[in-house]
Amino acid sequence: MSVLQHLPLGRFIKAAGRGSRQTKHTVQVSFIVMLLMAAMAIFSANVNAEVPNAVPPEGEYSGIHVEQPIEFPHDIHADVNEINCMYCHTYARRSKVAGIPPTSKCMGCHSIIATDKPRIQKLTEYWENKESPKWKKVHDVPDFVHFTHEKHIKRFVIDNEDLQVENVSEVCAFCHGDVKKMTVAEKVKPLTMGFCQRCHQANDGPSDCWHCHK
Amino acid sequence: MSLSNLIDDWSRYRKGREEGGFHDYEHMWGMSIDLNKCIGCNACSVACYAENNLAVVGKEKFEKGQGMHWLRIERYWDEPDLGEERTSEFQQHGASFLPMMCQQCNAATCEPVCPVAATYHTPDGLNAQVYNRCIGSRYCSNNCPYRLRYFNFWSYYENSWPAPLQMQLNPDISVRDKGVMEKCTFCVQRIRTVKDSASMENRKVRDGEVQTACSQTCPTGAIEFGDMLGMYDPETGVAETKVTKMWRKYQVELGKTKQNKQTPELRGYRVFEFLNTDPCVMYLDRVREV
Repeated sequence: MSVLQHLPLGRFIKAAGRGSRQTKHTVQVSFIVMLLMAAMAIFSANVNAEVPNAVPPEGEYSGIHVEQPIEFPHDIHADVNEINCMYCHTYARRSKVAGIPPTSKCMGCHSIIATDKPRIQKLTEYWENKESPKWKKVHDVPDFVHFTHEKHIKRFVIDNEDLQVENVSEVCAFCHGDVKKMTVAEKVKPLTMGFCQRCHQANDGPSDCWHCHK
Repeated sequence: MSLSNLIDDWSRYRKGREEGGFHDYEHMWGMSIDLNKCIGCNACSVACYAENNLAVVGKEKFEKGQGMHWLRIERYWDEPDLGEERTSEFQQHGASFLPMMCQQCNAATCEPVCPVAATYHTPDGLNAQVYNRCIGSRYCSNNCPYRLRYFNFWSYYENSWPAPLQMQLNPDISVRDKGVMEKCTFCVQRIRTVKDSASMENRKVRDGEVQTACSQTCPTGAIEFGDMLGMYDPETGVAETKVTKMWRKYQVELGKTKQNKQTPELRGYRVFEFLNTDPCVMYLDRVREV
């Protein structure tokens, strides 16, 4: 529970609820605000905020594009609307896996927001059929590797007093790349043993074989 | 890397032994097995099969000695022969049982012979086996006096878990393939989970928090598992763990090749300790009439 106390969860909720309070009268105003935010995002894109007390791992990778059942736009959610990564990937700070949000979480906003878009209509169709979209895994490590999200989040976000939790995407970007600029997530980091090991050496991570190999 | 690993491990062990405290160790996992309580039911062995994705090899391969039982119950008969005048179908005193798993030796004989350092000593005092590093030279198995290392002569995953049995595999430990040596790990996946949750809550691992599958399953509570560092570092105020208490009670000490056996109450011993392997598993002698 101590983990949760450190996290300003109100911020996530505020960010997510932004759209739901819209009424017809404020649509135009909010559209202008959205445009402004998009413009700000474009200008601030070049400024890559660095994560304090951490050395990002080096390495690039270009992999095969993974087709998803719905082309989920990460850029609209995380960049334009500034929704925190951990609002949807809520298990990242609590367990080994970051977690794909349940469809009910999508519908929490999208029963009201952007219901006229084809992607949302497809999502609503899934929701009404009581099915979940069969999302495909993009970032995967081999079965003999023990990787836990929660300890990495603890090291770089929760125990890192100089980092604002709003900037958590900079930490996620260590291994997942700049997801804010992607629609569907792409694998842009190699996630090989050398990649992990370089980061562990730079950030004083454990180097014992059995920490990660099982 | 492998050579420096070995030298580091060895010097850390020597230092710990000479200075009377394993200072660099985070934990030191140990066991105490009371043979008085062991009834030879094999529940621990079954639990080990379930927990660690051990392959069931079948009768034929088992007879050839290719069984993959990380924990086996050894049987010892007092009267080797029933004689010609069989008064009973069974020997009078029955068998003695001894659960035998990897002894997690501090001066392990398997470690220095591995050509690729796939087996090494962790800061937890465990004798690690890194499966994806292992090249299957089998030197370690040949050098183990306890015969506790098991080699995958075949790929068992196709036949050992026919569908839907593959659903019962433990995701926290890999399924080993052909050409890889494996052995008891003191359920390292459980240790890892507990250590992770302890560090998430900014606390130390509590005594009894980690349980191996065998000690959890044992119906008579013969197997005790825990951290032994409290025994070697009493000044830090670390509370004595259950296992430490047992080792102290029976005056069994690490680093000795022969234990104090002055009174019959001191039942503790370690298997083959005269070989100076310094195992972390203590057995308590079985007491019986005659």
